[in-house]
Amino acid sequence: MSEPESKNAMKKRLKAEAAAKKKAEKEAAKKAKEASEPAKAKKFVAGGDDDLDPTQYYSNRVNAIQKMEKSGLNPYPHKFHVSHRVPDFITEFANLEDGARDESKTVTVAGRINSVRGQGKLYFYDLKGDGEFVQIMSDLKTYESEEGFGEIHRSLKRGDIIGCTGFPGKSKTGQLSIFPTSMILLSPCLHMLPKKVGERDAITDQETRYRQRYLDLICNNDNRKIFEIRAKVISYIRRFLDERNFLEVETPSLCLLPGGATAKPFKTFHNDLSQEMFMRIAPELPLKKLIIGGLERVYEIGRNYRNEGIDLTHNPEFTTCEFYQAYADYEDLMQMTEEMVSGMVKQVCGSYVIQFSPKPGAPEVEVDFTPPFKRISMISGLEEVMKIKLPALDDPNCDKKLAAILKERNLECVPPHTTARLLDELVGEYLEDNIVNPTFITEHPEIMSPLAKYHRSKKFLTERFELFVAGRELCNAYTELNNPAVQRERFLEQAKFNADGDDEAMCLDESFVVALEHGLPPTGGWGLGIDRLTMFLSNKNNIKEVLLFPAMKPNLEEMAILAANKPKEDAVDLNAKKFPACPPTVFKLAGEDEDLGSEHGMKQLDAALVGNTFLKGGSPSAEDAKLFKQMEKMPREAVEWFGNVKGWWFSVAQFSEGVRGMWK
Amino acid sequence: MLLSRAASFLAPLAIRPNRLLPHFTCAPCALFSSSSDLEEKIKVKGDEIRQLKETGLSKSDLAPHITELLSLKSSLSTLSSPPPPPIVDPGQAELRQARVDKLKLIEEGGARPFDYSFDSNVSAEDLHSKFEGKLDSGEDDPEEFNVSIAGRIMVRRVFGKLAFFSLQDETGQIQLQFDKKLLNEADADAFKNLKAWTDSGDIIGVTGTMRRTDKGELTINCRTWNMLTKAILPLPDKFHGLTDVNKRYRQRHVDLIVNPDVKATFRARAMITSSIRRQLDERGYLEIETPVLQSTPGGAEAKPFETFHNSLSMNLTLRIATELYLKRLIVGGFHRVYEIGRIFRNEGLSTRHNPEFTSIELYQAYADYNDMMELTEDMVCNIVEQLHKSETVQYGEDTISFAKPWRRVTMNDIVKEHMGFDFETLDQDDLTSLAIAKEKAIEAGVPNVADLKSVGYVLNQCFEELCESKIVQPTFVTDYPTDVSPLSKPHRSKKHTVERFELFATGRELANSFSELTDPLDQRERFEAQAAKKAAGDEEACGVDEEFLTALEQGMPPTGGLGIGIDRLVMLLTNSQSIRDVIAFPLLKPETDN
Repeated sequence: MSEPESKNAMKKRLKAEAAAKKKAEKEAAKKAKEASEPAKAKKFVAGGDDDLDPTQYYSNRVNAIQKMEKSGLNPYPHKFHVSHRVPDFITEFANLEDGARDESKTVTVAGRINSVRGQGKLYFYDLKGDGEFVQIMSDLKTYESEEGFGEIHRSLKRGDIIGCTGFPGKSKTGQLSIFPTSMILLSPCLHMLPKKVGERDAITDQETRYRQRYLDLICNNDNRKIFEIRAKVISYIRRFLDERNFLEVETPSLCLLPGGATAKPFKTFHNDLSQEMFMRIAPELPLKKLIIGGLERVYEIGRNYRNEGIDLTHNPEFTTCEFYQAYADYEDLMQMTEEMVSGMVKQVCGSYVIQFSPKPGAPEVEVDFTPPFKRISMISGLEEVMKIKLPALDDPNCDKKLAAILKERNLECVPPHTTARLLDELVGEYLEDNIVNPTFITEHPEIMSPLAKYHRSKKFLTERFELFVAGRELCNAYTELNNPAVQRERFLEQAKFNADGDDEAMCLDESFVVALEHGLPPTGGWGLGIDRLTMFLSNKNNIKEVLLFPAMKPNLEEMAILAANKPKEDAVDLNAKKFPACPPTVFKLAGEDEDLGSEHGMKQLDAALVGNTFLKGGSPSAEDAKLFKQMEKMPREAVEWFGNVKGWWFSVAQFSEGVRGMWK
Repeated sequence: MLLSRAASFLAPLAIRPNRLLPHFTCAPCALFSSSSDLEEKIKVKGDEIRQLKETGLSKSDLAPHITELLSLKSSLSTLSSPPPPPIVDPGQAELRQARVDKLKLIEEGGARPFDYSFDSNVSAEDLHSKFEGKLDSGEDDPEEFNVSIAGRIMVRRVFGKLAFFSLQDETGQIQLQFDKKLLNEADADAFKNLKAWTDSGDIIGVTGTMRRTDKGELTINCRTWNMLTKAILPLPDKFHGLTDVNKRYRQRHVDLIVNPDVKATFRARAMITSSIRRQLDERGYLEIETPVLQSTPGGAEAKPFETFHNSLSMNLTLRIATELYLKRLIVGGFHRVYEIGRIFRNEGLSTRHNPEFTSIELYQAYADYNDMMELTEDMVCNIVEQLHKSETVQYGEDTISFAKPWRRVTMNDIVKEHMGFDFETLDQDDLTSLAIAKEKAIEAGVPNVADLKSVGYVLNQCFEELCESKIVQPTFVTDYPTDVSPLSKPHRSKKHTVERFELFATGRELANSFSELTDPLDQRERFEAQAAKKAAGDEEACGVDEEFLTALEQGMPPTGGLGIGIDRLVMLLTNSQSIRDVIAFPLLKPETDN
């Protein structure tokens, strides 16, 4: 096949054609006439121009449509009344006898032509509508006029959207068909349509399939089913929760602080407020505020955004369901999860047991969702599989010992080597990867779960579970931490990880802690990844298959279009922002006066804070209090300009003036 | 059943004194206890600086003192809203500390200030309906139905051996009665602890039986009680309530606790979206999700939010409409699709605008804008009926009637009504028509017409300025000028006009709909006109979306499209004057700006 024409070239050519047409309309008409002569000379056979090259096909089609318009016909009519959608037509008339026609009933049906064949007095079309096919069998005898019959069949091409008025019936071989009295072009397809996978000229290239999803949907009928499954999954969850008196709510996607999860957020900028904002990475914190407000059962199904790489299981935006139920705990939620997930699998797939291929090319495995699901307590589970005793979580050398275990077993962990990250690595290797049937991993350590409540009886652990299926996390839930003092402490711990360079550690959200101080009832909270669940239920191992328009790297053509469409003024470059204007704030650093109101001074402070005792986990000093006091008037943006300063400032800000005054 | 999980876990107590931060144990908590305290400090500092000056201290050595003085002074002006550690206003500090002290008391008493769960078997509303018309004053429930319920203490009155609380759960309030003798049967310290540990605002769980007090109030006569969550902060003053509007939005959780109407609004909101979903599902529509992060914004004229994807190293914008992606699915062979989702526009805040809002867009193949008008009428009327059991809704001072059919009027006709000039008398192909149109508009007092480029723009401007705010009852304004509608199909019989309508009520636009433009060549011309506007500096104009054009070239069936602003619909149906009343957490200006 020849190289497809570039869009810019096509645009230019179209323009040139239009201009030429205006200048010499007569000649153009003549030319068009000549162009159609040879076809007329030959006997017309439907679908005979499939062998043309795509460019030629396209320009023939554009000419034909313009000719049609000139003769007073509308190639894009405004309305076609449909009496039967294709699936309805099939159900209603499936029982007709072979060879019978019901001329007492006139039906109007519309759809896209999937294939054409025939000549002379008889033409056949496969019409596709709402994902199903019906045959159109058009003979001259039934059609309203001989002239119209010739004209319509000469003009229709594979891919066109048409409307058809006629009688229902069956061919002698028993094929359910429509016998039309009239047909009308509703929207022409200007391009040669690719064929179904497996046929010649099919689109098999995944890039094209995802980028031009509509082509994929037109040609490959199976894909439609994935999105029907997706819709069923979501509506099952909604019904499940609605029946249990949960209230669906919407919380902000744009926020001043990203919270509720550990992930890199997308940054954006609100022009009018002149305010940097983040896209939410999880709706958890605002939903818990609603529980505090007395909406005792709430849920939100919506998009979350994480600024991370794209791979088989990650897309920058993804859909989750989170629900929160007052007075419930993680045990209650495990039961609910079993009930919901197994019930859904049964309803959508017809059985508790499904086939799933975990990786491209990997053999299918059988996954059994029959409840109850297996439960493994994380630390004891690890010890059992690894046949060793793990270091105690309060052991000051815990990190070192864990790192040694990892090294011993040739496992790598991306630094910084915090306890949480080291453990996570072991869990991935020894627990998650071995899971096929749905399994709850429970009771994560506190350091891995800053928002989960400390376990009622097991030290250093939380009341949390994650549901894994075929090595992948599907749900995450816990008894919510509702003790504001502990929550603040956990946030501070995370702030320390932030200062250590773990850019996925959580930020401190003071407004959330204040909300907790108003009293969050004992609450169970739960989250589920809709995309991943859909992947299981449609047996797809690539997240792109379950998203209609997955995020794609721009190709060269798109880059050009993007550049052409770029507004005159440069977009706000978030990476190249200027240090905000600050009041002069003079402070002595290592004997030198530095103005913290300047970027230079702040940088010096940032460097000086490397050795700060408080940041390193020691006690704060009077020096910290003094510095903080001086910086009280600095704009937030300036304080957050450098990492160390930010971490230090947040930590100090936790203490009241009175407390700071007592520091020595 | 009554043995709640909370109770069964009372035994193995993990007291966690190490968890209490110095923050909780050290007094005082607030920045300053009062403004006079602060004024005193300012005075002292001022004196100190004067003295230092006299000693001949250099300017640079003096600077830190001056900065400190300035910061003290500015603290004075912002005393009620101190910068970041936004803990509490000074008046609350003592109350808060008293409650913090109780945490320890509770733990020492062998209970948890923050418990794990509670099994309730009934709601306040259930109780009121179950016992409506039953039990005489002073009578106990003869069936001794065992009640187990949890909620927040809203009112707390304690006498010697008797206490009355008002407990609020999601559905409403119920009175609790604690009788020392009865309560102490199960636990000898129960009544003492109740007095010592609880404050209004705390969340507790109780079990007991029903009775009606001598005053006729339905009451739970409690046998056991559990502290479930100790509230560290007191509720806002009962008498002054939470009247500061901004604080209400900022602390929605407190707003929800003290203002029952707020809950009703969000229940109505959930009902409205769920009704829309159900009605569309019944009509065979498929719910779809299309991307929020897009490389080129399109489908509306608005300023987008910009962001950056690190690993793709690519600028992205947040969607300003769902239109173009949904239409691609119609091309792909889905005949009826809809998406309910968040839309983002980078514009100022007002009582009608929040930077993110929820819309529904739906597309139906083989339908046109007339079908969409019927669908809109049906859907909205069903919702109104379901929500209000009536065809009319009160909005502010207006009574809005949703009785079908709603008024349908062309833009030209309604402008004619308000302005007395008929734009249809103009021959738009005649170049002088624009000058006449402008002259008429200026005569009618319409502002900003001088720079408008066509009769269509003038007509639209006249409509927006003279008519929009005056449309109170639901009205479909139809047949818009082509120039202001880059995605609509040309009208089947009128020149320079498209098949489009917008639904207005109470002076606000609620819905926007067209027979979709399906001709790719026409669409390209419209996009190019937009691109020209953009090049001329209009930041809201859209560019040429080649991918969308290629999709149209594959053939899109005749299609009707409809978009409804959910927030505005909820405002109208819940009699809310501001969009902030129907969004749980509206965006507000950062607090320091107040």
